[in-house]
Amino acid sequence: MWKVESAEKYDEVDESASSSSPICRNRAATIPTADAVNLICGAKTQSNPENTVGVLTMAGKGVRVLVTPTSDLGKILACMHGLEIGGEMNLAAGIQVAQLALKHRQNKKQQQRIIVFAGSPVKYDKKVLELIGRKLKKNSVALDIVNFGEEDEEKREKLEALLAAVNNNDSSHIVHVPPGPSALSDVLISTPIFTGDGEGGSGFAAAAAAAAAGGVSGFEFGVDPNLDPELALALRVSMEEERARQEAAAKKAAEEAAKQEKGEQQSTSQDATMTENVDPGTSESDKKTHDLMDDENALLQQALAMSMDDSSSTVAVRDTDMSDASADDHDLQLALQLSVQEGAVDQSNQTDMNKLLADQSFVSSILTSLPGVDPNDPHVKDLLASMQSQSELVLQVSPKWRDSETKMS
Amino acid sequence: MSAESASAIHRNQVDLLDFVDWSSVECLNQKNSHSLPNALKQGYREDEGLILESDADEQLLIYIPFNQVVKLHSIAIEGPEDEGNVDPILNAIFKFPGPKTVKLFANREHMGFSNVNDFPPSDTVILSTENLKGKPVIVKYVKFQNVRSLTVFIEDNQSGSDITKVQKIVLYGTTVETTDMKSLKKIEDH
Repeated sequence: MWKVESAEKYDEVDESASSSSPICRNRAATIPTADAVNLICGAKTQSNPENTVGVLTMAGKGVRVLVTPTSDLGKILACMHGLEIGGEMNLAAGIQVAQLALKHRQNKKQQQRIIVFAGSPVKYDKKVLELIGRKLKKNSVALDIVNFGEEDEEKREKLEALLAAVNNNDSSHIVHVPPGPSALSDVLISTPIFTGDGEGGSGFAAAAAAAAAGGVSGFEFGVDPNLDPELALALRVSMEEERARQEAAAKKAAEEAAKQEKGEQQSTSQDATMTENVDPGTSESDKKTHDLMDDENALLQQALAMSMDDSSSTVAVRDTDMSDASADDHDLQLALQLSVQEGAVDQSNQTDMNKLLADQSFVSSILTSLPGVDPNDPHVKDLLASMQSQSELVLQVSPKWRDSETKMS
Repeated sequence: MSAESASAIHRNQVDLLDFVDWSSVECLNQKNSHSLPNALKQGYREDEGLILESDADEQLLIYIPFNQVVKLHSIAIEGPEDEGNVDPILNAIFKFPGPKTVKLFANREHMGFSNVNDFPPSDTVILSTENLKGKPVIVKYVKFQNVRSLTVFIEDNQSGSDITKVQKIVLYGTTVETTDMKSLKKIEDH
């Protein structure tokens, strides 16, 4: 069968052409051809709404266009359904008809692509194929070849030559599928034919890959997207939301760090209790936090950062903290509010805290007492080193910040 | 015989470069590294290092739409000189890989190499080596009075080699309407 695609930048028209051969002993391979075609058609239509896909066969009586390029997946699946497998394929004629079908596509802005499923041997010689390939390249038609069926060295060489003739900037690909127990569609999923679709198709591919990975356990989140699509979707969405939130918070932290370079100072002792409660997603203006995704490390960083924070910056960040954390944790909110008040009122403690936290040994003892913290962790070590250097800076800056602090409160 | 004196002869003819609709410009069978903007765009086309080259064979099909209707007066196609070959005989042959036979089609959209011979061209131009140095060729003006898009089909080149090289393509003509739709502002109700 030939799959002919035409697309505009990202959207494509595909025409799928496949042949099946009686030489292919492993009958099981013939049925998955239909699956593979369906998979690819689905991926293409999903990846861009303007994509259109058509299907034609080239074995048997002659080249026959089953479906002209359409974005209606149902039509394509329907025509695949009644297909008979048999005969030898006529590669040259198939490609030419596919090219013609592409030429008469409705949306001329679409890019053109042909996907060939070559099961039976190739009876044309290399020269002819190269000529065809050059003609395709000239008309800017990309070509993907799926070489399956019996292992045939000559066929392999010919198809490689064809690909070389048509390939322009790596837009064309070839996949050799060895005969074996694994299904054609499974092998195809990991190939650039599939993954060349871009992000849209990859979602489809990922779900299919999860299914192919074998058994119920292979599914993402342990839920079969086919059996319970809503649940699978909800799980995936919530994961992504969490990830996006963490990334946004980390980004914010990086931005604030850029803004307030010198503003790192000690703050109140309430921070120690806050450590446990603070949501890692609201990490603060320590420059080094933005690399950490690990919860415990983030917590630790948070604690140290907060204790080193400039009091006014702490207030600013805490304001944002409170809006972020509002949905999450009542205790957290209370703790935050308390510490804000403490910070505003209690200035005299600061210099003491400076000295305390500047003391390396004190800090390491705190660290070891915290659950799940490894003082040998490189991140922790970095932070400790930075604290050392910044404690002096802190003392100088404090008077100015104190004033603005009181204004804010 | 320079390009300047040639264009000075044709008064009121402007370079139609400003009216080209760049978003829809297409070129078939060009090499990715040596593409159409090298020959068409201001600045690129002056640079002798930047040329448009054909890929699979020596033909090129260039589709140039305009953002308004224009009249085409003349076209100048410059080709590079290749001094690569040492052999004097070969040198004479391969010296000019620039275009020779150029067919122009007015207002034909999305042509392909297969149907390019199905329509009679609006004009056919055979370039001499002088033209390749920049002398514009005057086209059949009557055929190009109302041009929305121009398709340039380069059929073969001077040296008969497999790769056609184009240094520069300049289109001279005038506009038909002087209204620039983009600068039209909405009239407020008084």
